[in-house]
Amino acid sequence: MIKLVSASHYLQPVYDHAALTSLETALRGLCREPFRRIDRFIQLALLGSANCASGRKLRPDCGIYLGSGLGPIGNNVVTQEQLIRDLEIPKPFNFINTLGSSAGFYVARNLGLQGQNFFISRRGASLQAVLNAAMADMLLGFATQALVGVVEEVALPLDAHRLRQHLSQDILLAEGSHWLLLQSGASDSRSLDLKRFAEFAALEGFLKSAWRTGDRLCCTRSMETHAAKTMQQGFDAGALSGPTSAFHDSLEAAWLAAFAVSREPGTLFLVDGHPERGWSLFYLGA
Amino acid sequence: MAGAYIRGVGLSCALGEDAESCVSAMQRMQVRAVRLRLDEFDEPLQMPYYRIPDRSELFDAGRFERLLPPVAHAAVVQAGLTPEEIHRLPMFIGSSCFSIGLSESRYASALVQQPETAIPMPLCGYQDIAVILQRTLGCKGDTYTYNTACTSSANALLAALRMIELGWYRHALVVGAELANRTTLAGFSGLQVVAETLQPFDAARKGLLMGEGIGAVVLSAETDSANRLRVIGGASNCDTWSVTTANTDGNSVAKVLNQALHQIRVQPQQVRGIKAHGTATPAGDTAEALGLRQVFPSLPPVSVLKPYLGHTLGACCVNELILYAGALLYGFLPATPGFETPDPALGVQPITTPEPAPDGHYLLNHFGFGGNNTVLALEKIAP
Repeated sequence: MIKLVSASHYLQPVYDHAALTSLETALRGLCREPFRRIDRFIQLALLGSANCASGRKLRPDCGIYLGSGLGPIGNNVVTQEQLIRDLEIPKPFNFINTLGSSAGFYVARNLGLQGQNFFISRRGASLQAVLNAAMADMLLGFATQALVGVVEEVALPLDAHRLRQHLSQDILLAEGSHWLLLQSGASDSRSLDLKRFAEFAALEGFLKSAWRTGDRLCCTRSMETHAAKTMQQGFDAGALSGPTSAFHDSLEAAWLAAFAVSREPGTLFLVDGHPERGWSLFYLGA
Repeated sequence: MAGAYIRGVGLSCALGEDAESCVSAMQRMQVRAVRLRLDEFDEPLQMPYYRIPDRSELFDAGRFERLLPPVAHAAVVQAGLTPEEIHRLPMFIGSSCFSIGLSESRYASALVQQPETAIPMPLCGYQDIAVILQRTLGCKGDTYTYNTACTSSANALLAALRMIELGWYRHALVVGAELANRTTLAGFSGLQVVAETLQPFDAARKGLLMGEGIGAVVLSAETDSANRLRVIGGASNCDTWSVTTANTDGNSVAKVLNQALHQIRVQPQQVRGIKAHGTATPAGDTAEALGLRQVFPSLPPVSVLKPYLGHTLGACCVNELILYAGALLYGFLPATPGFETPDPALGVQPITTPEPAPDGHYLLNHFGFGGNNTVLALEKIAP
């Protein structure tokens, strides 16, 4: 049985013509050493992971599973400007931080971890990708503890950030860092389960049998519209209110982390899939 | 020990544009680096480079979409999957460049044509490889895109293996892709780790040489009697000593090797050969060599494949796995061009002529920026 030991949830809307919120003061109390040459994506990862682990001594082999749709986009923008516009060789730390795995390195160093450390992306569903990977490793015994996080950064200016994601210019953007600490066999904690279904009818049948008043349902953005509507009509529509009206590429992670942090009763069901590839259902129970 | 069978492969690298000819070229010890020059900087960058021998211009924006699909298609065809299996095929992708070259080209064009509206990073490319392959192959399965520097495709493969072992998938397509781009070439030059010659584990080693390569492997829970190669496990860990290299005391390398051996329940003396990571950087080879010596009192034959195709970075695992596995099937352990003078501080001497490859267990090492160490285990099964 995989249990949720703790969670952290950082979601910050970014308004037009406003600066990004400085994270340095918050990080000062969370990092055991002053990291230099880190970018905002790494800062967001450090903030979320340290808050999630707060007050707990993690197992040294705790795995890190970091997901993101866009990764360190702010640093990548700077690096590409240096290279293509300014015709300069990228600075070493800018180049190294273009890799998604650099953030995992600093998270591991800050928390004293030496286990597996993965950066995984799936546009619009990075949470599902990292949860699948973490749960596979835990089910097979390759990790008894897993720090699962999803981080999305905003690169200014906002109009460019919207353009590169093909978003309309009136969408409110957000940054996020959402983390779950999972552990095999921990008691007195919510359980996190995963079921996979080849057919939509089987998924629907399972949900109907498991559904209790007050439960929440979240359909991922990547789901086919028809399937999502069918799901929503079949269950309590009130369950669909999310934690924000602002957008980033991994909003499902914000839903899940916000629910976990809130300690509200009931179960959150997170549905993902497609008629042609099958369906997955993560559920965070009472 | 469950594992997953290698049922189909495709490869395009400096050695050639199909897996079989690449393995044959490696057996002949063919080394084919070209001279590369980037003139746009104050001081032009020059370096030897292992490019895929297609006829297009190296930074041609259409190359990404042109070169990827045939390699994956070759793997899927060789695997003999049914249309339904292809339809549901999940993809596990490892890369350190993704579509960054295409992004660079578009930004450069925009700067010339409409500088006031040009935006850097016009593509957020993590998903691009999956999108192209899903469209061209007709796959609709789940996708997992790994970006853990030079262990990217190793970790992608490890995840595919584990999800097959859990029964979540029957087959999986694992892809490693690295194509020439200015970010990588200039970035590594800025780190001052690029050499003029590639001399892994040699006393005179000075650094790495980069290359491009696209590899694709279909892993499967099922096999037929003709299939003699199986990925049987592996291990991965994180070393936080430095963001650019494993600890040069070799301890974290030894730890991940021991984890892999423990997981596959094999003793060091049962290992028949090792494909080393062997970047030929002074620190990287030191960490790997000292780690190997901690685990293996007597080393089995060590091969380094980067002298054949360069360091293909996030794709190096899948590319080198295909070459090494192909060599095992041909019955030889690959020689290591470029190694001449042993370094007494390392105590690792790669083989310099091909040797026979018996049935049994083999390890494949991969280490990357971000402290990532990943070892995979392969079994050549007796007929």
